[in-house]
Amino acid sequence: MSVALQVSGVRARYGDLEILKGVDIEVPFGEVHVLMGPNGSGKSTLCHVLMGKDEYESSGSALVDGTEVMGLAVDERARAGLFEAFQYPVEVAGVSLNDLLREMGEVRQDPAYAERVEAAADTLDMHRFRERSVNGGLSGGEKKRSEMFQMAVASPKVAILDEIDSGLDIDAVREVAHLVEELRSDDLGVLIITHYSRILRYMNPDKIHVMVNGEVVRTGGPEIAAELEASGYVDLVGNEASIPKPEITPFDV
Amino acid sequence: MKTLDVQASAAAGAVDPDWLAARRKVALDYYDKLDMPSDREEVWRYVDFDFVLGDFGLVDEPGEAHEIDNGIAAALPDIAGSMLLVDGHAVSVNTGDTDAVFGSLRTLLADNPAILEPHVAKGTPADMNKFAAAHTAFGSDGAVLVVPPGTAIERPFFVDIQAATDGAVSFPLITLATGESSQASVVIRYRSDDELNALVVPNLELAVGDNSQLKVTVVQHWGVGTTSVSHLRAVVGRDGSVHIGEAGLGGALSRLQLQIDLEGNGSNANVVGAYFGDESQTLDYRYTMHHQGLNTDSDMFLKGAVQGESLSIFTGMIRIDEEAQKTNAYQTNRNLILSDGAAAQSVPNLEILANDVRCGHGSTMGPLDEEQRYYLMSRGLDGPRSDRLLVHGFFNEALAKFPEPAIADVVTSWIDAKYRAAQEAGTV
Repeated sequence: MSVALQVSGVRARYGDLEILKGVDIEVPFGEVHVLMGPNGSGKSTLCHVLMGKDEYESSGSALVDGTEVMGLAVDERARAGLFEAFQYPVEVAGVSLNDLLREMGEVRQDPAYAERVEAAADTLDMHRFRERSVNGGLSGGEKKRSEMFQMAVASPKVAILDEIDSGLDIDAVREVAHLVEELRSDDLGVLIITHYSRILRYMNPDKIHVMVNGEVVRTGGPEIAAELEASGYVDLVGNEASIPKPEITPFDV
Repeated sequence: MKTLDVQASAAAGAVDPDWLAARRKVALDYYDKLDMPSDREEVWRYVDFDFVLGDFGLVDEPGEAHEIDNGIAAALPDIAGSMLLVDGHAVSVNTGDTDAVFGSLRTLLADNPAILEPHVAKGTPADMNKFAAAHTAFGSDGAVLVVPPGTAIERPFFVDIQAATDGAVSFPLITLATGESSQASVVIRYRSDDELNALVVPNLELAVGDNSQLKVTVVQHWGVGTTSVSHLRAVVGRDGSVHIGEAGLGGALSRLQLQIDLEGNGSNANVVGAYFGDESQTLDYRYTMHHQGLNTDSDMFLKGAVQGESLSIFTGMIRIDEEAQKTNAYQTNRNLILSDGAAAQSVPNLEILANDVRCGHGSTMGPLDEEQRYYLMSRGLDGPRSDRLLVHGFFNEALAKFPEPAIADVVTSWIDAKYRAAQEAGTV
């Protein structure tokens, strides 16, 4: 299968701080990959660097269906087929979701767009949110649902879901996982960024990449998640003090 | 063109009943005595006049009015009555077919002056400043609406106020009074050509009767050469409600000094504003919300943007008297600074003498939000398109609270167009 997202040698710094030290990740079309790692490993930075947020100084290559997106403006990357679902989707007061959908349609000039909006709104039960402000007054789960809705509408080639499970209760995590599985298609490559492995209980990722200190240190099958759940990231970095074990609180131990 | 002097004042008062003639005489004294306001006074801070009132003259014959609508009249297909005032003179009146008294001030002074006396007496005091003094000393015409008790009028009245003569000053008076348990809505449009150098000093006097509801929508669309110094004074009776929306778009300097007295127990006021300055405009708002009765509520909510070299000023005062327990009062002023050369001043004040009240204020200013911009761009919208959507959304929050939604829609389209033009000109 051809490659949806090909990340090669991506480096990034924020001021004097080097955050990404040469990241390589490949997500083929039709697959769902997971990027895991402890806090501060650079996962969200990778997400923003790929989307083009200008607060980082970055280099390297990122191909979206063969098109180089590094160096493009944020909106150009979006129109090249890259989508970011935000960890904390910002509220845009006074702009309704319908306003945003209309603008998204105008920049895409895709005859199938309007139909896709209605179909996705039906499937994801989003009609009741369309006249409300973008992300305004939405619960954590509703915000993630809105992100998935916009993803379905944008019909990207590559979707990066940044901490899509953060701040959600277990029911909402399960729901988001199911939405991702529903949106899985042969025309899409998905990269899920997560700190915890719990979302993986409800979905079937094809590959897991583990990032530590700005580098991908391990790539493998779903079995990696089980290992991480058992032992945390410690074995991978060998420094227990700086690395919290995922989802194991003192009460669980 | 007549100079602002004792003869001009006498001519303006040709049909005055005694009580109005007495007010006019006192006002003329104040006009002679008072200096032009200075930016050293707190209430005039940031405002610097490069003229004196006497530079402008009164006209006997109004200039030619704009015939072509700018969208406001079209947005009001079904009105209760309408009036056109040009250079301070009523030139056409459609009194409508409602039970309300609606007509020109001059006609009513001749026919039925008693109906006006109680309301005019509560208006802006002549000693407030030189402009207010000049208004009472030299004003001769205006629009009057008196709604009888128990009468609800859903359709809005439309008052079109235009300046059309270069070098002229005019003093339109708008007196709106709602009787007990009545209801009315009035839309006021200010308008002039960009080429015109004119001064307009409108006074609005709102007498909101017990348990009545008055909505007033003001669309300020003066040309860039027109200066406007206006006053609005509202007195709200028991369980009465006043809802005011002001859109400020034009003018060289456009000022609105507003005071609402929530006199009656259970009365409330909702004041919304949306203003957008560019070039070297100054948009100046001085609002006072005075809670006097028990259980009174107020909300001031203004959103403004400045671009080019423009300046906006908002000072909001919530004053709560010792007797005004159980007051809820809020003021919000948010400003977008869209160009480096533009500036906004925002000064919220509270003066609270009662101890059982809920009161809040918020004031912000800054550029468009970078996180919101990034979010919209990540959806494929280019930078300028994202910014347009953000500006639209920013104002939408205020315009959605306007009394007449159809007018708000027209104002929205003007604001969208004004910002887009600035983008195309590269000034934002």
